[in-house]
Amino acid sequence: MSLRLASTAVARREFQLFARRKSDWANPLMFFVIVCSLFPFAVGSESERLRLIGVGVIFVGALLATLLTLPRLFDEDARDGSLDLLLSSNEPLAMLILARVAALSFGIGAPLILAAPLFSFLYALPADVALMLALGVAIAVPTLLLVGAIAAALLVSARGGAILTAVLVLPLTIPTLIFGAGAALKVLFGESPVAELSLQAAYLLFALALSPLAASAALKISTD
Amino acid sequence: MARTEQQSNDRFQGRWFWRYASPAAFYPVAGRIEKLSWALAAILAIVGLYIGFFRAPTDAQQGEVYRVIYIHVPAAWMAMIIYLAMAFWAATGLVLGTRLSFMMSHALAPTGAIMAVIALWTGALWGRPTWGTYWVWDARLTSTLILFFLYVGYIALAAAFDDKKKGDRASALIALVGAVNVPIIYFSVNWWNTLHQGSSVRPGSSSMASIMLTAMLIMTFAFWAYCVAAAMHRLRTQIIEREAETKWVKELVK
Repeated sequence: MSLRLASTAVARREFQLFARRKSDWANPLMFFVIVCSLFPFAVGSESERLRLIGVGVIFVGALLATLLTLPRLFDEDARDGSLDLLLSSNEPLAMLILARVAALSFGIGAPLILAAPLFSFLYALPADVALMLALGVAIAVPTLLLVGAIAAALLVSARGGAILTAVLVLPLTIPTLIFGAGAALKVLFGESPVAELSLQAAYLLFALALSPLAASAALKISTD
Repeated sequence: MARTEQQSNDRFQGRWFWRYASPAAFYPVAGRIEKLSWALAAILAIVGLYIGFFRAPTDAQQGEVYRVIYIHVPAAWMAMIIYLAMAFWAATGLVLGTRLSFMMSHALAPTGAIMAVIALWTGALWGRPTWGTYWVWDARLTSTLILFFLYVGYIALAAAFDDKKKGDRASALIALVGAVNVPIIYFSVNWWNTLHQGSSVRPGSSSMASIMLTAMLIMTFAFWAYCVAAAMHRLRTQIIEREAETKWVKELVK
């Protein structure tokens, strides 16, 4: 079986799962929606105040929603045995993981990318900021999934995996958070977001190059 | 199997230092290094603190409070250096498969985390009188906090596995991932905000009085020696714990 065939098979399986189990992408979306709705209760509903925290709330909400889907990456597969098939494949494991992460980025990311601008309006943010936020979330979701795949792969069989994954992954998402939210803030204050956006994209490319390799090494360690 | 073992033994006998990759061989050496480092740490700390607290002049702007620098800066430096050392031993362990390297990593992690905490704590105590607040979201404070998170993640991951070998390799991998990311995090946090007073020590052009600098460098070596001693102590404890079933440990503790 060629590598292309194998990766498309892996990605197609992911999409089929998304189509048949709608909760897989609907629950992270609901989580995001609810988290974003909680903040006005805590800080007050004046639009001036909401505008200042909106970018941060939406960005962190999207990161947390994505984080919660990480156990889905390998845990279920380990339980139903499909992880063994993945591991025993002749194709390079890193590429197969990349295919899964790519499919997951679409499945989880697309609803969040659509919801992010919607919530920008609830936080009294102007339309151009909303678009920039959607773009920032679109870069941040695959970045987090790539970095998170390493931790998820390490913790397939470990105790307290979900919470430990968060502890390991969240500090590593700080660059994408800084630059992604920074780009939207730049637009909010009427400046050019190009520098922040480029750096955020650069971090994604960096993760794209290295983390599938690290994740495959991690998977081999934890399933050894 | 027997043949590969023989081969690997030959490989390790080739050079004298490979001998010390064996926990049993390194255990007494670690003991000697530990004793020496404790002594060095004590002497250097006494000298450094004496110069820093009694000989160095009072700061023109900050008064006496600046003297916390003799604790603060060495701790912050060690927090960074230990992370590098930890990642180095993690990489060595992953490449060579030497048990001792992983133990070395584990032994360093808590000391590094403590150094980060000391740096943050003394920084807060220093910030209160000079900046008027215990905490500001300044680049260097924030990066040290993130460094502390990375230490905590490493320690928690190493403890999450029942299988020690798996925990060794898993935490080693996360140490490497962290080491690759640390420069990026530092850069991005710097980009995000900088308000801290400029770095006062740079090679060649230092803005500190030379006696202050002397005291700080002596204190840095004192901290360094302390960290080595603490790590060696922890390493010895780990060796005993992990090799508890072997003959030499049973004879040692008899």
